[in-house]
Amino acid sequence: MPDMKVEVPIEDDVLLKVDHLCQYFGPMKAVDDVSFTVKKGEVFGLVGESGCGKTTTGRSIIKLYDITSGSVYFKGVRVCAGKKSFYDAIREARKEFREKSRDASPEEKAALKAKMDAIIAEQQENIKKADYDNKNCDKEYIEKLRAAAEEKYRPLIDSAATAEEKARLTREYRNELRKASKTKLITKIQMIFQDPIASLDPRMTVREIISEGLLIQGEKDQKVIEQKVYEMLELVGLVREHASRYPHEFSGGQRQRIGVARSIIMNPDMIIADEPVSALDVSIQAQVINLLNDLREKFGLTILFIAHNLSVVKYFSDRIGVMYYGKLVELAPSDELFLNPLHPYTRSLLSAIPLPDPLYEKTRQRVTYNPLAEHDYSVDKPSLREVKPGHFVMCNQAEFDRYMAILK
Amino acid sequence: MENKLHVSDLRISFKTTSGKVQAVRNISFDLDKGETLAIVGESGSGKSVTSKAILGILAGNSIIEGGEIIYDGKDLLKISEDDFHHIRGDKIAMIFQDPMSSLNPIVKIGRQLTEAMILKGKARQRESRANFNGFLKNLNLAMKQAAAEAGKSADAEIDAMCRKFDDFEHNHIKLEAAFNQARDAALDAIETIDELSFEMEKNAVKDMKYRVSQMVRESLQAIHPYLVSTRADELTQLTKDLPKLAEAGRKAGSFAEVLPKLAGIKAILQEAVALPVPDFFAMGYNDAFGGGKLPECPVPEINGILEQKLHDEFLNKFESYVEMALRFSAGRSAGKKKEAIEVLGTCAADFPEDAVLERKAADSAAKKLIDAVEATKNPVEFKKDSLTFTFESSIRGEIDTYFTGVRKNVIEQRRHDRMQAKHDRLVKKGREPDWTVPAAAITDLEQVKANIRHLADRLVSHYGTLLDAEAGRDFSAETQDVIAYLKTSASGVVEKVTKTTARLKALKLMEEVGIHDPRQRFNQYPFEFSGGMRQRIVIAIALAANPDILICDEPTTALDVTVQSQILELINNLKRERQLSVIFITHDLGVVANMADRIAVMYAGKIVEYGTAEEVFYNPVHPYTWALLSSMPDLDTDQRLEAIPGTPPNMIYPPKGDAFAPRNKYALKVDFELPPPMFKVSDTHYAATWLLHPQAPKVEPPAIVTERIARMKARMEERNA
Repeated sequence: MPDMKVEVPIEDDVLLKVDHLCQYFGPMKAVDDVSFTVKKGEVFGLVGESGCGKTTTGRSIIKLYDITSGSVYFKGVRVCAGKKSFYDAIREARKEFREKSRDASPEEKAALKAKMDAIIAEQQENIKKADYDNKNCDKEYIEKLRAAAEEKYRPLIDSAATAEEKARLTREYRNELRKASKTKLITKIQMIFQDPIASLDPRMTVREIISEGLLIQGEKDQKVIEQKVYEMLELVGLVREHASRYPHEFSGGQRQRIGVARSIIMNPDMIIADEPVSALDVSIQAQVINLLNDLREKFGLTILFIAHNLSVVKYFSDRIGVMYYGKLVELAPSDELFLNPLHPYTRSLLSAIPLPDPLYEKTRQRVTYNPLAEHDYSVDKPSLREVKPGHFVMCNQAEFDRYMAILK
Repeated sequence: MENKLHVSDLRISFKTTSGKVQAVRNISFDLDKGETLAIVGESGSGKSVTSKAILGILAGNSIIEGGEIIYDGKDLLKISEDDFHHIRGDKIAMIFQDPMSSLNPIVKIGRQLTEAMILKGKARQRESRANFNGFLKNLNLAMKQAAAEAGKSADAEIDAMCRKFDDFEHNHIKLEAAFNQARDAALDAIETIDELSFEMEKNAVKDMKYRVSQMVRESLQAIHPYLVSTRADELTQLTKDLPKLAEAGRKAGSFAEVLPKLAGIKAILQEAVALPVPDFFAMGYNDAFGGGKLPECPVPEINGILEQKLHDEFLNKFESYVEMALRFSAGRSAGKKKEAIEVLGTCAADFPEDAVLERKAADSAAKKLIDAVEATKNPVEFKKDSLTFTFESSIRGEIDTYFTGVRKNVIEQRRHDRMQAKHDRLVKKGREPDWTVPAAAITDLEQVKANIRHLADRLVSHYGTLLDAEAGRDFSAETQDVIAYLKTSASGVVEKVTKTTARLKALKLMEEVGIHDPRQRFNQYPFEFSGGMRQRIVIAIALAANPDILICDEPTTALDVTVQSQILELINNLKRERQLSVIFITHDLGVVANMADRIAVMYAGKIVEYGTAEEVFYNPVHPYTWALLSSMPDLDTDQRLEAIPGTPPNMIYPPKGDAFAPRNKYALKVDFELPPPMFKVSDTHYAATWLLHPQAPKVEPPAIVTERIARMKARMEERNA
């Protein structure tokens, strides 16, 4: 059971911190105790086979699901928190009390009860905190925005020369405040979806699709919206005339560009790209990857890149996390991961990459991964351990020693 | 290499409201037995259209402008829908890109897997019976004629011999099928034992009760006079109460009692499958014609005795008669071919250039040609000569096209003129109409006549080569082939597909394609599966019919690497085991390096580069191939990717020159004016680009490609060293 009590201090350059994230759907553990951090301006790749929970991780981060337990910190604010671990701890404490107090003396019983009560009280406090954070994570952020707006407009308004100027500035200031009060912190994370056909509403024009986020955020000035939409279209390599067309009039690569424009217009700090190129033709894949690379350089975007094409992930990411059945089994800088894959699953994954080299391909041996045969976790349970600075592997002590020997 | 599929000059277009889209423009390729041909290209390049044409499932608005697709002596573009039922799914199967659209959402997976098996099983049985009986009848007739020509009258003897062969051949197949079933059961049991004992040692057995009892059932099936015979009692003893013991072991958490028994069973079974296999052909003869009890001695000796008897009493004589029949029939056919060459020579006069044909005259001329060609068919040749067999349908098709063209060209021209006039009127008025006049869809009548003449010429030269080869024919080897063919046809008659066997086969297939717990999943609906799992089901369904040719239309595009590589391995293994021919369609060149023997790169409905996998990857010459290679990263790529700018051309108005020229930074001036012909790079490597012309400037492929090839070569040398 993940230990929730430790409040981990968050370093300055960390934008997103996923802490013991669990996402269960009934008995299915889609994501089980996954922790990682993403630094500012970094591309973090998540790979694994279909059904391993990489997409669920992305969706949990952006609050599309209520997470089961664990927390997600974004810009130092806890944006979602799960409560199952706290309830489990309470149940565990009660059970322990029942078992131990069965044949204990009255004094011991009282001591045990006090201990149990203390645990329950603490956990209930945690639950309250989680509830509060889930509900109010935006408040702090809104306050920050309002303060920033005030700081910007107050002196301007005060020093305004004419009455008209003053009125205009006041109007703008009010507009800013109104928008700020509608903002949610989570909109600073935007998502790009896999299927550009399914993720665009066929009955909306490109202008409506791209500007929808702005409208929800409270932007009412049509001129500003128009201006921004055109800007975004040009940014992703489309032209202004495209704004009044419908999605079906575009090719696959152009549709994916619309999806990119829709998320960039929110001026996000982070983008979760969930298999953004898997459904595209090879030639178009290159266009979209190049576009994402350009945007990343231009805006200093942080990207969580979820994909199963390892060549693309390697090309695009700074660090890569490998997931297997809901667990993060290896995490390392991308060059390091491909140079020294340690976890047997990672090795099996790397051995499956097809390369455009027929002679190599004809001799390539795929390594199969069978967790039963590879690991003996009957006594010593595995955990994520650091084998080299920045390189983590899920292993137990015996395996850890073996990996260290390999690295030497 | 035996040629399986021959596509030549295929032209397909689609009728749309804005004009005729030319999706496939003059494509030709061959597919050999046991070979993988990869067709690579962007979406819209016509690769899927080609594959759909092979399977006869083109959309309703498609027009087949010309060409032929020859499979097993039939032109797939011209045969009727009823005939196609025997080919589609059965002989040529297809795996589609989107699994959800090829599965029925309201029928359970198991039903969908077994349905085709049961239906096709019956059809296959019928067909094999017809094949066997028909061929034996032809052979019988040929034998009699040959004997009559040699001045012998042996009709009664020949009839008796054929009947005898028929009788004991069925006997043989039955014996062999029983043995194979037992042997397969033994092999399956050994596999299950391996898995079970591994899992038992780890104390993590899943679905144990069923699997143990299944294993017991299988090992008991292995009891057979030539398999587990002397140790049968021992085996029965060992398997007794095994499921119960295993269940008790699971509860106690220790399998100490079960494991040694499993090892014992495995030892017995392994010993059994290593035994020599008896000659069932000879044994079938012995059983059918009162051979009596066999002596008690090792299998090789029995085989010797039986074969001796078979040859002495029957086979030597039968073979000599078969050889005689083959020789006679081949000689007769050769004579007819010589006659046919003369008749075909008159074709040019019957279908002359610059003259309008009369329906009646054309039909009678065609009939004359067809009769001559029909006469050359050799009834005792089981390998059908595709040119002879498709001649009739081709020539009739061309004549039909001609006369429909005569009728429709007038209407089409009138329609086009009307549209053009309307357009002109609007322009005259100073308005700018936002529509263009689509080009008139006129059939080129001269071309059709040229096609007919070409058909005849091709057949003449084909007969010429056949007649030249006539002298060197080895009839005794052909005799053996004929007997082998009869054996395989007969085996198809005995193979029966029942619901139970279909279910077992389906479960095995599901396991083969990597679906865990197939028994539970058998009764689920498609929506309960993830995308990857659905694709595996579709592959299992395609493989269930045991096809000759498998067409894979982007089968792994939606799957992740591990599954993709499993599926590719699966297709590769099946290809090796069953001598399957595969057409693999994809846009991802990385995938085909593993699979393909040959690669065809397609762009805008044409093949632009064609060669073996090594040639296309290590020495690509067409700029489009370069662009495809440089637009995907590999593990060593760190420079910016070279995306192909722009989009494929609008195929309603195909470009005049090279279709790729507008997107090609290496394009020459001539590329915009003249379409490049296929230049030869090596005997197996061709490409359509003016860059290969001797007068063209020297151009190097982009750095990202050359560097990668250099890296690959370095890696190869490293491995060799």
